[in-house]
Amino acid sequence: MAIKEKVYSRYLQKKGTARQISAWGQILSQLTSLEGKPEALEDMVVLDLSYANFSGSIASSFLAEAGAEVIKAEPPEGDPARVMTPFGVQVQGVGTPYLMESRNKRHITLDWNSPEDRENLKRLAARADVLIETLAPGEMDSRGLGYRQLRDVNPGLVYVAISPYGHYTARGKEFAEMPWTDLTSQAESGLAALIGDLADSPEPYSWPTRAGFYAAGYTTAVAAATGALVAAFFKRRTGEGQMVDIAAADAYSSCVGFPPTIGDIWKKPRPRYGTLDYGLCPYGFFKCKDGYVAIACFRDQDFRAALKIFGRWKLEEDWKSLLDRITDDIEKVRGLNEEVEKVVAHYTYQEISEKFSAYSIRAARSKWRGGGLPVTTKMLTPREVMDQEHWRARNTFARVEHPKFGIVTLPVTGKMSRTPLRVKWISADIGGDNEYIFKKYGLTRKESGKS
Amino acid sequence: MADDYFSFTGKLFDQKEISRKPEALKGIRVLDLSHMIFGPTAARFLAQYGAEVIKVEVPYQGDYWRGSTYWGKYWKHANPLWHFINHSKCFAAIDVKKPRGKELILKLAEMSDVVIENFTSGTVEAWGIGYSQVSKFNPRIIYASLSTYGQFGPMRFLPGWDLLAQGTSGVLSLTGHPETDKFFKVPDFFGDFFPGYFASMMILMALHYRERTGEGQYLDVCQAEILMRSLFHFTHLQMTGKELGRTGNLDPTMAPSGIFKTKDGKFVALAVATDGQFQSLCQAMDRSALAVDLRFRKATDRLKEENARDLNGIVQNWVSSRTASELIALGRRHRFAASEVMDDVQISQDPWRRERGNVVTHEDEMYKTMVLQGPLSMLSKTPGRIKWLTRPLGYHNRYLLKKMLGLKEAEIRRLEKERVVGYWDYRVGQRPPVYYDIDRDPIFHYSSPEETPAGERTR
Repeated sequence: MAIKEKVYSRYLQKKGTARQISAWGQILSQLTSLEGKPEALEDMVVLDLSYANFSGSIASSFLAEAGAEVIKAEPPEGDPARVMTPFGVQVQGVGTPYLMESRNKRHITLDWNSPEDRENLKRLAARADVLIETLAPGEMDSRGLGYRQLRDVNPGLVYVAISPYGHYTARGKEFAEMPWTDLTSQAESGLAALIGDLADSPEPYSWPTRAGFYAAGYTTAVAAATGALVAAFFKRRTGEGQMVDIAAADAYSSCVGFPPTIGDIWKKPRPRYGTLDYGLCPYGFFKCKDGYVAIACFRDQDFRAALKIFGRWKLEEDWKSLLDRITDDIEKVRGLNEEVEKVVAHYTYQEISEKFSAYSIRAARSKWRGGGLPVTTKMLTPREVMDQEHWRARNTFARVEHPKFGIVTLPVTGKMSRTPLRVKWISADIGGDNEYIFKKYGLTRKESGKS
Repeated sequence: MADDYFSFTGKLFDQKEISRKPEALKGIRVLDLSHMIFGPTAARFLAQYGAEVIKVEVPYQGDYWRGSTYWGKYWKHANPLWHFINHSKCFAAIDVKKPRGKELILKLAEMSDVVIENFTSGTVEAWGIGYSQVSKFNPRIIYASLSTYGQFGPMRFLPGWDLLAQGTSGVLSLTGHPETDKFFKVPDFFGDFFPGYFASMMILMALHYRERTGEGQYLDVCQAEILMRSLFHFTHLQMTGKELGRTGNLDPTMAPSGIFKTKDGKFVALAVATDGQFQSLCQAMDRSALAVDLRFRKATDRLKEENARDLNGIVQNWVSSRTASELIALGRRHRFAASEVMDDVQISQDPWRRERGNVVTHEDEMYKTMVLQGPLSMLSKTPGRIKWLTRPLGYHNRYLLKKMLGLKEAEIRRLEKERVVGYWDYRVGQRPPVYYDIDRDPIFHYSSPEETPAGERTR
């Protein structure tokens, strides 16, 4: 590690720098501490009505981590998302994805079919700054609880709707009743078409492939939370609320933005590219003796350095400049990639990493080597990630104790010097906070607290 | 559904009205010192909703991404993909390593609400433009340092970007088929873009706090942590002791779930989240026995690995006897989720995306017509928008230095001569398109009302 530090922090090694950055070091040393620190959104009330859909509850989690009071309302039988969990595995009746996103929330039950609870919902909406719902477009409206009606009760309300095709447009109307999932969203928004092996590999490996986590779901959640925060900021300044509409079927394309521009200018879709890269070669993960390592060479001098280190200088002739290595000649690129595969297989990650660093140090001092700096890192599984000292030092994994679930480990990020994001508790009991929230917001029910 | 609901929402989100509507972040000024994708995306998100964003680059070099297009395919002497990352910003080129350049950047920081940077941890502090220096004269500043490993911790100085962040966060280890030795990355720098929006979310939270208290703050935005935040796999591992690894096209939280090949050789993703949706699917398949099968009736049983795989086999058989459009129609009628796998061309031409404003045809003064992706979230009163595409390196120098900092023409010429500020060189991605007459551009040659026009300048 020391050798890497030498390679990558040259500005900090200059004389006098240590003194110059000491004030900043002070700030950094306080970043993991939560003691006595306020929360950015502690005056915000969020009503989360997400149903059978993680994006809504993830979005409300983000706001809850910043201090908003998030009231998750679900029907008495519970949100079906509770049991949407890998291979059906539950902990005390709750799936792990749901547990992971049940941070800092209040859980109450509201029965849409009861007039009393519809009134309760209106009362909460009158007080809320943000409402998040994931039902079919028009469903809340037909119950008299849509944006159209609630804005009369609360003109400052930010009403966030998440659905596959959105709450407007002809298709939105035609497909209003169709549900969505992370997987269908990955497919429709252009992600699956780009993942998978090359066209000449056997089926099903050449087929479109899903990203192995909720890539569309989390993107949709960030879209909802950022949209809500922009709208809530406008409300702080003008008092006016508005409607925020998120279409999950465009999640991936909305996030990375490239598909429509590429489709329009090139007039042909990109093929699936296996472990190759559309931008650059070599740029990817390769199998080494003890795992998979990244080999990334951005600039010509970085590539030349890698060739020297791996003893493949004879290749230089054909791949001299960056323009050679960003070609769309797939056969040519495959050739280079295979060369890299072959040579990387002889080494362990440690060996490659040390060779790269040692070369970089020499290169930084030599004008002939032109500062070549090939980059590597090792692919880690979640278990290996959790073992890294680095994340321990950063308190990246919160450990929360719960009377029913025991110790629960949750990834958390968002280090802000004054108002850090944080996990305060987890709560996942159906109706567990009925009493508290009903009392606090003056809700009424004949048999209060019963779910 | 009330019949008139969609006419109500259609008016709320009318695309033709967008340019006449207010902007939520108007009056917020962002100094964007970042490069590549992660940082610039955070700044561009804020620009899209009304913030004034000043992107500062290194003279005669510029952001590396200016020149890095896919497959070396350029468009009008620019990287077509760079427009989406940096549209609606102002482009200054100032050399921070020259004392006068540092001074100019500090002045801009003094007049800003937000600073965004993504250099190696500590670099901006060593240059004298970090949070500890800026906050001395601008305590209201929200200063966001973005990096792959964060600003502190033993790995803080390691380089990183999308590919490395996907590898080091565990994301990469989850995509692909379990029986192969290939791990696929999520393409198109998802590991930069997604954390970029997360960064803007943190900045918005800080803006909310400042609005209430007047206090600025420092943000350590860690790319790999943000990717880790989007994995339930850590919690799952800790609670069950099991790593999920790669599961191919099966989403282990849904059954059935997969991307299946249809009768007409297309690909359709199909996934069932709830018991109700499963009943609908069985109806559509005309398999009433499946609907009551105890292995499948309840999600808890259906999701068990063996049952989920059996069910996927049954669904694949059914899907191969139907065309893609039949399947989508059935999904719509019976209410289960089914989507065709869409590619770049389909997305660029999709009428739904055009009508929604997710895909926009933008008319630009310099680059003329371009099709690009619209905003991430649609807001009815303060919609996001594309104001202009990117501009050549240093394009707004004169405009910013005169208008914001009150510099005179003679002073700017001296700065140019000393290469404190600068412009493009011959390289593609930095310069204006050849057909564009830059010498007659009033912004590039901006002269303040009190001075006589600068006339034709030679670089």
